[in-house]
Amino acid sequence: MAQDGSLTAVKTAAGARSATTLWPLRTFHPARGGEASGELPGTGPLRRGSTSWTGTLVRRGTPFAALAAVFAVQALASAEPVVAFPLYLTVVLLVSLQQDRAESVAVAIVAAIALLIRPLATAGQAADVAPAVLLSAVLVAVAVAMNELTRHSREAAAAAQQRVDDLAASERRLRATLESAAVGLALAGPDGTLLETNEPLAVVLGRSREALLGTSLADVTADSDREALAGGLELLGGGDIVRWDADIHVVRPDASLLPVGLFMARLPNPISGDESLLVQLADISARTHADSLRDCVAAVRQVVVSSAGLDGALPQLLRTFCGYLGWDVAQYWAVDSDQRAMRVHNAWNASGEALDGFLDASRTEAVVQGTGLIGRVWRSGVLGAEEDLNDVNDYERLAVAQSAGLRSVVAFPVVAGGEAVGVIELASVRARGLQDDEVTMLVTAGVEIGQFIRRTEIAQALRRSEADHRAIYERSPIGIARISSGGEILEANPALLLMLEHDEETMRASAWPDLLRAYDQAAARQHKAPFLAGISDGRSVQVRAATGAGKWLWLQLTATSIPDASGRPEHVLVMIEDVTAVRETSDKLAEALEAQRDANVNLEKIDRTKSEFLSIVSHEFRTALTGIQGFSELIRDGGLEPDEVRAYGGYIFNDAERVNRLIGDMLDLDRMESGRMSMRATDVDVNDLLMEAISRAAPSAVSVEFKSDLDPRLPVVTGDRDRLIQVISNLVNNAVKYSPEGGTVTLSSRVEGQFGLVSVSDTGIGIPQDEISHVFERFRRVRSGAAQSIPGTGLGLTIVKQIVEMHGGKIWVESAVGHGSSFHFTIPLVAEDAKTLQLRHA
Amino acid sequence: MPEEITGDGAFRVLVADDNEVAQRLCKRVLEKAGYPVLIAADGLQAVDIALNQRPAMILMDVAMPGIDGLEAMRRIKAEIPAMPIVIASAHSMASDRERFLAAGADNVLSKPFKLSDLITIVAQLAAAR
Repeated sequence: MAQDGSLTAVKTAAGARSATTLWPLRTFHPARGGEASGELPGTGPLRRGSTSWTGTLVRRGTPFAALAAVFAVQALASAEPVVAFPLYLTVVLLVSLQQDRAESVAVAIVAAIALLIRPLATAGQAADVAPAVLLSAVLVAVAVAMNELTRHSREAAAAAQQRVDDLAASERRLRATLESAAVGLALAGPDGTLLETNEPLAVVLGRSREALLGTSLADVTADSDREALAGGLELLGGGDIVRWDADIHVVRPDASLLPVGLFMARLPNPISGDESLLVQLADISARTHADSLRDCVAAVRQVVVSSAGLDGALPQLLRTFCGYLGWDVAQYWAVDSDQRAMRVHNAWNASGEALDGFLDASRTEAVVQGTGLIGRVWRSGVLGAEEDLNDVNDYERLAVAQSAGLRSVVAFPVVAGGEAVGVIELASVRARGLQDDEVTMLVTAGVEIGQFIRRTEIAQALRRSEADHRAIYERSPIGIARISSGGEILEANPALLLMLEHDEETMRASAWPDLLRAYDQAAARQHKAPFLAGISDGRSVQVRAATGAGKWLWLQLTATSIPDASGRPEHVLVMIEDVTAVRETSDKLAEALEAQRDANVNLEKIDRTKSEFLSIVSHEFRTALTGIQGFSELIRDGGLEPDEVRAYGGYIFNDAERVNRLIGDMLDLDRMESGRMSMRATDVDVNDLLMEAISRAAPSAVSVEFKSDLDPRLPVVTGDRDRLIQVISNLVNNAVKYSPEGGTVTLSSRVEGQFGLVSVSDTGIGIPQDEISHVFERFRRVRSGAAQSIPGTGLGLTIVKQIVEMHGGKIWVESAVGHGSSFHFTIPLVAEDAKTLQLRHA
Repeated sequence: MPEEITGDGAFRVLVADDNEVAQRLCKRVLEKAGYPVLIAADGLQAVDIALNQRPAMILMDVAMPGIDGLEAMRRIKAEIPAMPIVIASAHSMASDRERFLAAGADNVLSKPFKLSDLITIVAQLAAAR
């Protein structure tokens, strides 16, 4: 503290002379150095030791006793005052020299009284008294004068003594300050020769104080810094500056270098006029060490932050360790891909060719886990060091390291994900101990480098993944578009542009909006959400879209929203596939399937119709056969009357005939339906046919009246005469069959546009409403009570309908129960040839 | 088939059939065997005669105008549950037989039939009475 204060003061008193620079040393701490002013002279210069009362009494009484003795002698000798005066004067002079003013004046006055007593007592003449008075006055005056003189001389002596004392105290304090200072302090001549040093300085320089005296600063300075020192001394000597400081290295007797902070200040000597230098040397090795560790960490971080990968960072990292921490060689050992050995991955030589042999040996080394320094560090994951290779035997390259002159080695792990992925080895040609802070720093650096490796690996993986995805995006045969949440296209891959035959610009401007509209329309048709709502569901919609070249495609759009970190849809990824071919194929397939389905339905219907038909036919046959079998059995068994046999034979004949008719009708129908019925097209006069039918039916239907209402304008038509007769007679027979006695059957014809219209009406029982639509179906005989006994095959009307339709006409029935029925059919007037008829039917 | 008179004259059989030939055949065979025969030409008539004249059994055709034989049987059985009814039908597939029995028929006779089968069925019912 003290020297710091003084130095501060030196600085503030820039340009002051040395006297003023030294005084603050004393006055800076008034509390401790306060005596400088507190004991200034002026009060008790003689107060030396303590005198006793008796001593004082004796000392003060002695002059008076002397005076009394002189007076006694004068009185006894009756001597004149002039005679006694020298004695009194002597006493007064002595007292004046010895005692203070009051005492000496008092003694002088007493002596004066003693001189005056005799002349006054003898009442001598004035002439006798006057000399005595004069002599008395002289005594007092001498006493006062002497006293003043003595006092002045004493004060001067005391002041001189005081100055000497002060100087000595200041010297002592300065010395104490010098010695107690933690920094090395010295006085040196202008050329840097040390004149005086304190102990700390000697310690810093590693020499004794005595040895240092007369030594030049330049002698203890490292070669590299000597020039700088000389420059500093020159500047100080030239008077250009009063202070100079620098961080330099000093050489200790063991040739080791020590970093020191050197401060020098010019110190003018006011007495001699010679200038000297105040030299301050501080060991800054600890600070330098801490600084280098800190700088090293900072440099490592800088490298790690600014590097893209480990390979790029390693040379710089190794150089950093050597440069900042003073190691000569640095090597990075990395674990092999098979995890079985560590090999040198990178090396840095900061020293020189002498160490190349060691590096070469390292390069060929394969370190196994657990053996040697590197192997142990690898296994344990903690820093390891060999502070002196002369005392080790478990070091992989001991011989080569020793021959290269290496002394100390340290190795620390590079830790990533909790395990050592590498080891950094530092080696030095000096034997150097490792301090805790350096160990901490290296371990920290190892962790940071490990994290860096981890980060770069992840970054590389990310980049690879990104590249993979980019490649998928770029090369995908599927069109991919990235869409903003507002629906604008952000990016379209080459496949999409190729598919739609657009460049990016037209894609963005028109093609994409069109596609979106198409999507929304298609979605609306399929009751799906429009494009920008519910897009996250990944459902597909197929739309029709035109390419830039005007080709129409079926596109399948599958949209998936990509959420941002907060889960909101940030953008949408749309996959667009050209499904035209698939779609066309599937359309065709669908058509084929539809057709197949229709065919199946028809087949089923035909099948059903067929089995129904079979069931009905078998019923009809069995019904007919019941009579045939039963009565023939009766006849066979005999025992019948001839009348019975005749009657039963009639039943059998009728039923057999009916079976025959059934078979004939069925065959006709089958031929017509299968198109195998041959038509003989001739000119037919329908009115003739109608008249013939009446004349044929009338004889057997006596209870019915026939009427005709024929249109003479009806032209001759083309048709199969026999078939048309079959139609008309069937309708007439039906009319007769279902007519009660006295009923009327009316046949009419007329021209209706391009057709001739023929009607057969009766006044019979009529057909119930629910049966009308079925009358033309097979075996659909009206089974009302009145109709029950009317025989028929149930196929007649079905055949009639077929024949009419084969001629290109239509047939229908109007009927009311109880009022009769009217069957109407048409036949085209425009002649159609047989072939047409045939074809139509087919 | 030798004609045997098995009926005692009191076991009246109602033959319900719209086919006149079938009516005549059944009537001739059953009367010869000693069973008086009533004839109905459709379903409604069959129900009417069955309820009013109480035959001992009914031989019922199915395909008849108006209500068919099965409906007639249902109506008759609703009034006289114990009335034996034999369905005699030209619907003679195996499934038809099951259908008729399930509808409540006491027996089924497929048309065309042997005369002895008819008489056996009737005789069995007469004996059971």
